[in-house]
Amino acid sequence: MINAGNLVWLPLYALFYVAVMLFWTRVAARENGNHETYFSAGHSLSPWISALTLAAASLSGWFLLGGSAEIAARGFAQPGVLQAGIVLALPGVLFFKRMWFVGQRLRLSSQAELFRSYFDSKFLVVVSVVVAVVFAVGFAGLQLRALSELIGMLSGGMVSPLVASLFLGVVLFAYVGIGGMRAVGYFGVIQSVLAFTAIVGLAGFALMSSGGFAALNAGLQTLAQSPDGAGLFQVAGVIRFSAGLGRDAVMGHAETALTSLSVAMAFMGFQASPLAAKIVLSTRNANGFAAGQTWVMAGIVGGIIAFGMAIIGTAGLINPQLSLGGMLAQLQAASPWFMAWLFLGAVAGVQLLAGLGLLTAGEGLVRHIYKPYFHSSLSRVATVNLTRIVIALLALVSVLMQSLTPVALSALGALALPLAFQLWTPLLGITWLRWITPAAATVGVGFGIAGVLLTETMGYEVLSFLGLELPWGRWPWTIHSAAWGMAANIAAVLIISAITNRNAFGAEAQEARRFVQSTLRMGPRARVLGAAAWSVALAWIFLAVGPGLVFSNFAFGTVDASGGAWSVGMPSIWAWALLFWALGVGLIWFLSYKMEMASPYLMDIPAYEPPRTLHHDQTRVEGERLRKLVVTGALAFILVVLVAFSFGS
Amino acid sequence: MSTPNTERDLLVFSIWAVLGFAGLAFLLEGFTRDSYFVCLLGTALIVAAFVAHIIVNFLFQQGFRPGETVLGIGAFGVLTFTFIAGVLSGSMSMVDYYSGLTLFSILIVGFIAYLSTRHGLRGAFSRFHVKTAVSEDSGR
Repeated sequence: MINAGNLVWLPLYALFYVAVMLFWTRVAARENGNHETYFSAGHSLSPWISALTLAAASLSGWFLLGGSAEIAARGFAQPGVLQAGIVLALPGVLFFKRMWFVGQRLRLSSQAELFRSYFDSKFLVVVSVVVAVVFAVGFAGLQLRALSELIGMLSGGMVSPLVASLFLGVVLFAYVGIGGMRAVGYFGVIQSVLAFTAIVGLAGFALMSSGGFAALNAGLQTLAQSPDGAGLFQVAGVIRFSAGLGRDAVMGHAETALTSLSVAMAFMGFQASPLAAKIVLSTRNANGFAAGQTWVMAGIVGGIIAFGMAIIGTAGLINPQLSLGGMLAQLQAASPWFMAWLFLGAVAGVQLLAGLGLLTAGEGLVRHIYKPYFHSSLSRVATVNLTRIVIALLALVSVLMQSLTPVALSALGALALPLAFQLWTPLLGITWLRWITPAAATVGVGFGIAGVLLTETMGYEVLSFLGLELPWGRWPWTIHSAAWGMAANIAAVLIISAITNRNAFGAEAQEARRFVQSTLRMGPRARVLGAAAWSVALAWIFLAVGPGLVFSNFAFGTVDASGGAWSVGMPSIWAWALLFWALGVGLIWFLSYKMEMASPYLMDIPAYEPPRTLHHDQTRVEGERLRKLVVTGALAFILVVLVAFSFGS
Repeated sequence: MSTPNTERDLLVFSIWAVLGFAGLAFLLEGFTRDSYFVCLLGTALIVAAFVAHIIVNFLFQQGFRPGETVLGIGAFGVLTFTFIAGVLSGSMSMVDYYSGLTLFSILIVGFIAYLSTRHGLRGAFSRFHVKTAVSEDSGR
């Protein structure tokens, strides 16, 4: 039974959180001039603010809520997760600097605009917006749901999960709706430090409760001696040719080295998502990307994941009473002030991601879809106000789905990262690979999405509902949907780039290509180091998250039915992960600075002046377009219902 | 545009959100467990928050804002009142008593040290000395 006095602390700290949120929302709204710089903070966020918010949004609550639960349930069988800090930094190093330069030259503020200007592709614009919506409603909604349930548990049932998720939704809307991107950036700094502190604090509590690091590893040793215990500390080979989850049972456990590699690819999707692009394009200059990716993302976030998340998960693995929920409940009873403070950190991390997602999705739906295609005469003020309404609606949908359709929410949330990963190919086209043509980028992403949907729960459940049973389940051959999608994506990009005109780019794309080529040319030293960079990066990927993970089973000791003979006092697989995290920080530093891929580069970038064109009144055409959309939507709905009624189960 | 003032304020908020709240939590934990060591850890964290705040002020070439001063003095007043009330009610343990005294001593010594190093001993006194206006033509 929880002491009534202990229940006071969480609302008290929540009140403080809301007060700080309102303060920064007010500051942001005043600096915005209400609507003038609502969407991208006037491209004026400091590089250190961007670096922190990017890192915390990437970390979000997933690693605390999902990552630690994964280790608590399945041990270290998927060690690629422990390299998340490095694999999140890799795409940042690859894309951000060049993306920022193109965005600054063409004065763009979002990924959808980037795709429209460079590839002139409506499909890519829609995909970018859909990915943002999936992140805002599905991915963040899933984490908010987990938090709401924890609030319900911590309040002793006094606050229901529905009320908790409504409260979290209202807080989200309050600062995103009023303060826009600037509020996301400013409040994001405080949310970031709170989120980092929460994981470190909870890891410290987990260590103390377990009796210290040595006792924790002794507990793992005992666990290794239990029947099937060895499997918790081993990767199950390179690949298993199974039909996938839900279709085929795999002998032993199903986490292979390729599962780790493909999950790492999914993580890489976040940095290619419209959410990350939103922060990058709202930044004042490109001077902070190297430091942000090397020290904040790979160093701090990577360390927090490899140590903190692993310790929290391990404590839960040894003693289920010390799983995240159990640990918070214990803290609630013994030290409610600590519990409130640390729990608020978890809330802050998830809200940062959700707020960024809502803003990007709201902007995408209104500014990049509704306004250009259905209402081009919409004023700036009306655009901002409509975006606020859409943000409120998206937050409401998320709250309702958390409560009413948790299974659908879970399936939707699982799509966010693999879908975002499919945007790698168009981003590579914009930043590095000039031979990727607009047609190839568009078709590639289409194939990639199909690949993801056909190997994820959402896809085969929908097809099953319509009467079509796929012969495989989720993640066939123990490979995550992100990799299946990318395989289809790359195949399409290579074939179509080979057969389409490589010079078929519009004026803005030509300008972006010329600008990047002329300003970001690699220096002679970086060119000399090119081969070394490729070798080191590929070797790291192979050994840290790829097939080389099988070496981690025995590199620092062995584990079998008689227990673990660990030469460094901890499971070999965990020691391997820590070693490659440290090497990974070095790799990111090398790529960022020595290879100049994200190195600071200060220059004034004048805006590109496009040729003037005549604007015609589009009102009638847009009205007609809207009517067609409504009719098509209605017909599609009827068709789906008829098919489901005829063939569905 | 995010101004240096905004960035300074963000850093100050972040410092207190982490170190300040950690310090408060350790103090409360120490009082509950009747542990002087844990209370001392809390006090050290609060001092660390002040030091970090002063470093940020130095980096941004600013002093404490009026709002921050009011909040600090107000919090100090509330703490003092609570401490005195605790002593008078006789419900405090010796650990509570010494922990409170340690916190107040460090805060007061730190406050004087800060003013002395920032304004000099004479200048520090002048911060509290009310200057009466003397008109130019008063003849004296």
